[in-house]
Amino acid sequence: MGIVLLFLIPVVVFSIVSVVLVGVLGAALPALAAYPDFTWVMDPWFQALIKMTLLILVVVMPLASILTWMERKQSAKMQDRGGPNRAAILGARAWGIPHFIADAVKMIMKEDFIPAKANKILFSLAPVMAIVPVFVTFAIVPFGGDVCTHQLTQVVANPALCTDKVTLQVARLDVGLLFYFAIASLAVYGTTLAGWASYNKWSLLGGLRASSQMMSYEVTMGLAILGAFLVYGTLEPHAIVLAQGPLPWHWGIVYQPLGAILFFTAAIAETKRTPFDTPEGESEVVGYFVEYSGMRFGMFFLAEFIEVVFLSAIMATVFFGGYEFPFLFPDGFHLLGHSLPLPHVAVLLIQTAGWGLKVIFFCWFQLLIRWTLPRIRPDQLMDLGWKKLLPVSLANVVVTAVVVLALMAR
Amino acid sequence: METTFRKRTSKATVKVVPRPETLNKELMLGGIIQGLAVTMRHFFQNVAREKPEVTINYPEERLKYPLRNRGLHRLMHREDDSVRCVACMCCPTACPAHCITIVAEETGNGNEKRPAIFEIDELRCIVCGLCVEACPCDAIRMDTGEHMHVVDRRDDAILGKVDLMKRGISSTAVQGGEPNWQERVKTVPDPRFR
Amino acid sequence: MAETPNPAPAQSTVTLKIDGQSVTVPKGTNVLEAARSLGVSISFFCYHPGLSSPAVCRQCLVEVKGQPKPVPSCYTPCADNMDVLTQSEKALTVRQQMLEFTLVNHPVDCPICDKAGECTLQKLYVEWDSAHARMDYEKVHKPKKVDLGPTIVLDAERCILCTRCIRVCDEVAHDHQLEMSYRGDRETISVAPGKQLDNPYSLNTVDVCPVGALTAKDFRFQMRAWELMTTSSVCAGCATGCNDEIHHARGEIYRLVPRENQDVNKFWMCDDGRMTYHEIRQNRVAGARVQGETVPLDKALSFAADRIVALRGSSGSSGLLGVVANAQATNEDNYLLLKVASALGVDRVYLAGRPARPDCADDILRHADMNPNTAGARAIAQALMPGKAKGVPQLAADLEGGALKALWILGDHVDLDEEAQAALARLEVCIYQTPHQNFLSDKVNVLLPAAAWAEVDGTFTNAKGLVQRIRRAVEPPGEARPHRELIQLLGRKLGIALDYPNVRMLFKEMKQAVPEFAAAEYGRELPVVQLRFAGSRG
Repeated sequence: MGIVLLFLIPVVVFSIVSVVLVGVLGAALPALAAYPDFTWVMDPWFQALIKMTLLILVVVMPLASILTWMERKQSAKMQDRGGPNRAAILGARAWGIPHFIADAVKMIMKEDFIPAKANKILFSLAPVMAIVPVFVTFAIVPFGGDVCTHQLTQVVANPALCTDKVTLQVARLDVGLLFYFAIASLAVYGTTLAGWASYNKWSLLGGLRASSQMMSYEVTMGLAILGAFLVYGTLEPHAIVLAQGPLPWHWGIVYQPLGAILFFTAAIAETKRTPFDTPEGESEVVGYFVEYSGMRFGMFFLAEFIEVVFLSAIMATVFFGGYEFPFLFPDGFHLLGHSLPLPHVAVLLIQTAGWGLKVIFFCWFQLLIRWTLPRIRPDQLMDLGWKKLLPVSLANVVVTAVVVLALMAR
Repeated sequence: METTFRKRTSKATVKVVPRPETLNKELMLGGIIQGLAVTMRHFFQNVAREKPEVTINYPEERLKYPLRNRGLHRLMHREDDSVRCVACMCCPTACPAHCITIVAEETGNGNEKRPAIFEIDELRCIVCGLCVEACPCDAIRMDTGEHMHVVDRRDDAILGKVDLMKRGISSTAVQGGEPNWQERVKTVPDPRFR
Repeated sequence: MAETPNPAPAQSTVTLKIDGQSVTVPKGTNVLEAARSLGVSISFFCYHPGLSSPAVCRQCLVEVKGQPKPVPSCYTPCADNMDVLTQSEKALTVRQQMLEFTLVNHPVDCPICDKAGECTLQKLYVEWDSAHARMDYEKVHKPKKVDLGPTIVLDAERCILCTRCIRVCDEVAHDHQLEMSYRGDRETISVAPGKQLDNPYSLNTVDVCPVGALTAKDFRFQMRAWELMTTSSVCAGCATGCNDEIHHARGEIYRLVPRENQDVNKFWMCDDGRMTYHEIRQNRVAGARVQGETVPLDKALSFAADRIVALRGSSGSSGLLGVVANAQATNEDNYLLLKVASALGVDRVYLAGRPARPDCADDILRHADMNPNTAGARAIAQALMPGKAKGVPQLAADLEGGALKALWILGDHVDLDEEAQAALARLEVCIYQTPHQNFLSDKVNVLLPAAAWAEVDGTFTNAKGLVQRIRRAVEPPGEARPHRELIQLLGRKLGIALDYPNVRMLFKEMKQAVPEFAAAEYGRELPVVQLRFAGSRG
């Protein structure tokens, strides 16, 4: 029963999510644009705004908040405990899911304390600096294929040929993942400022640990994903997804297994979660947000979980075929000579739901890692980053480049 | 004057334990995968089980206490509902935590002596049960099965005679044993007596 | 009596064998005492070394070779070539049977009984018998809680009819107030017709009672005997100086009981003396006061010292200062005060104390002089300031005549009349170190808190001239300190080097300075004993 629910609930939830996303962006808004007064809804700026809002409201924020519950529940299950099960809405306990609401209410109601000697402006700015970049990076994530708005009920063989297509991606940037690295680097300011503005020597040290860690692992992260760029020949995430296609043996994990592991490791270090949580180290060392309380602390907390969601999305996009569902081509399933033609809208819905399932799988996997591995020391952290991951990722890049060059020359 | 500098030597030796520098150890991958396998196994087992085996959801589910569980104290009653305690002070003497305070007073009736004040500081009490063992009159017992209550002030944890008697029931135990004690003594020889 | 004081040699000793050991004792000694001198213990209830032996309890039966029946050892005088077996099977059996017989009608209400913990019957039962009762039928019921007099309550059921209490009244108080009435298992102790148990030695009956039949109203239900700690001391009620034990628990004194001293009080103590412990915690001065205001002790001492120094500057070396020694204070306190006084050049020395009460005196123990240390204070004054010590009437006269400007009073009792008190209030400085508040404490301008007699170590000299130790049983309240410490502190402020970290050093010095103390020894320190480990006192 529990196992069935464990798989069934995400499938149902993400089916609904995909209906909302595809329905609003691919059907409702184009239908609205048919009326002369509402042609502006197809304006690229408004489209970007509505996509971002939908993505954050429907996928990112619910997932990030539910992760706070998931983390506690999953760790409990891993440790043979019960986990949160008390909070209830109208008597419905629902495995303790209402706990994330209780947590949020608690965070908001708590005293918002600013230390007397803290720099009040920077102190207030730091959580915002931490949370905004991770929201912004979602702009490059493709969460579904292109929608041919006039052919929703038909079988579409090649959506790229449509003239009236709506992209399920906020911003289709050619620099793509470079944009992600650029924006993600800004998050380090949030942590450093938080440590410095608190007027607390321990939080300052925590901030220093955080910034050194984040900067160190950014190098590895960039180099690890470089191999994938060389393979796909592009930096644009949607193009990467298309390059991988619906066949699992063409996905990035097959071409770049080492790159995937290296990127995943470095990205976990970027999120500052166990086993790389020396910056906060809640149980032993004092972290950079020790002086924060209430919703300011909540923003750091939330930023961490949004980073988890984003990391999952990037892993899915670059190494696991993004929104591509196994064997689901734009015109339907093709497997071992059999084929099942599907209308365009069904393909889109399955693709978006599949993307969501991939994301939540990686969220689950990160939580699994976080509750399995012990924290490593700062010196081991630096050792791992600079002496192990970096050379290996460099070697990965060189080998990939040589192989790609050899294949291209042939 | 000639000064010679001698190299400082220490007799203490450090035993160097060799650590195997294998690739597996360096990468830690084997250990990580092993660990993930263990946690994952527990995760799926427990999800399938729906409820962990060892957890008891306290207010809804309760463990059945053993028969000799020691709970809050209570003072037993005589048949006329007066206190059985005769303020012999055996329990405060036996108490290793000094949590019992008794002030004796004279009664008007044949019982002769009773506690004017009988207070137990339940915060000090270490629930050892020696007071019950010491009591010659079956006056104090700890078989209420009740836990210590949550209190706001330390004074509230001091239970007085009224509180303790409220939990009490009537006891008809006879000092020196029941009338047929001789038969029982024969069946269960007490090693303390010849 | 147990031992004849001066046994004449040769014909007045006998030699006998007890359990195979040979022992030589004075003629007339009974077998029980002879056995005790060997360390052989024989159980008994009715025998008491300070009383006559009626041999009614039969608990001390021993076997004497050649005699067909066991004999009561307390009543059998030692004879030459006697062969006594105290631990033979026959002797042990009869003693155990006697104990069971004694217990037949005893209610065994130890939880209620105040004697539990110091009860001879309880102790013997645990040591000798420890068996369940074989009595299956109802025990004989007798009156409980019988009011025998102002101090004593009788529980006739617990009584084992040893008659010790009757003999105490007859032989110690010389007043036949108790006697036996009825016969057989109805027999009880009761007061003699037309009398009640109200002699001044009535509480000794409680001490000698081997069970909890007689209980003192004063101590009844106050504290369990096994919780009490004992400190050996001397009664401060009168000049007799009866040796006593202070029984106290957790800083509170619960009773005083006599301690054997054949030279002073034998085994006894008067009721008034036993009640003196009540005074100790009443009306205490817990903090120093200067002109009616409570100040820290050091401040009060500085104030007094400044005044005295100023006076000495203005009106000669003696500063018109007088000191009052007190017969209530210990020898050490008085010695130190007079030592400081002579160092200051004071020549007005007075000796105070409680007024004598001839109506309380008798020729048994009670003395007319109500002060424990009159002899000691006199001897010290005589040794340190020969001929200078005056009485209280002279003090009153000097006060009213204005011959004094400053006064340093020790102890609490100074018997001054109204006019003298008014004159006292007019003094430049009057230092009064006292444990208790009384009519003087509002008149003086420096009031120092002193410890009472049960709170200090020291010695008293009784009317016979015996120097006896008193020991600290409880802590003094608040800032109160022993007189000698207050004198030391004030003396140092007056520029006199005094360094006596303990009383023993002070006593050593005093021993050399005062001829009366030349032969005295300070004695050893006794550990405070908890009564539960001291065995029964019955």
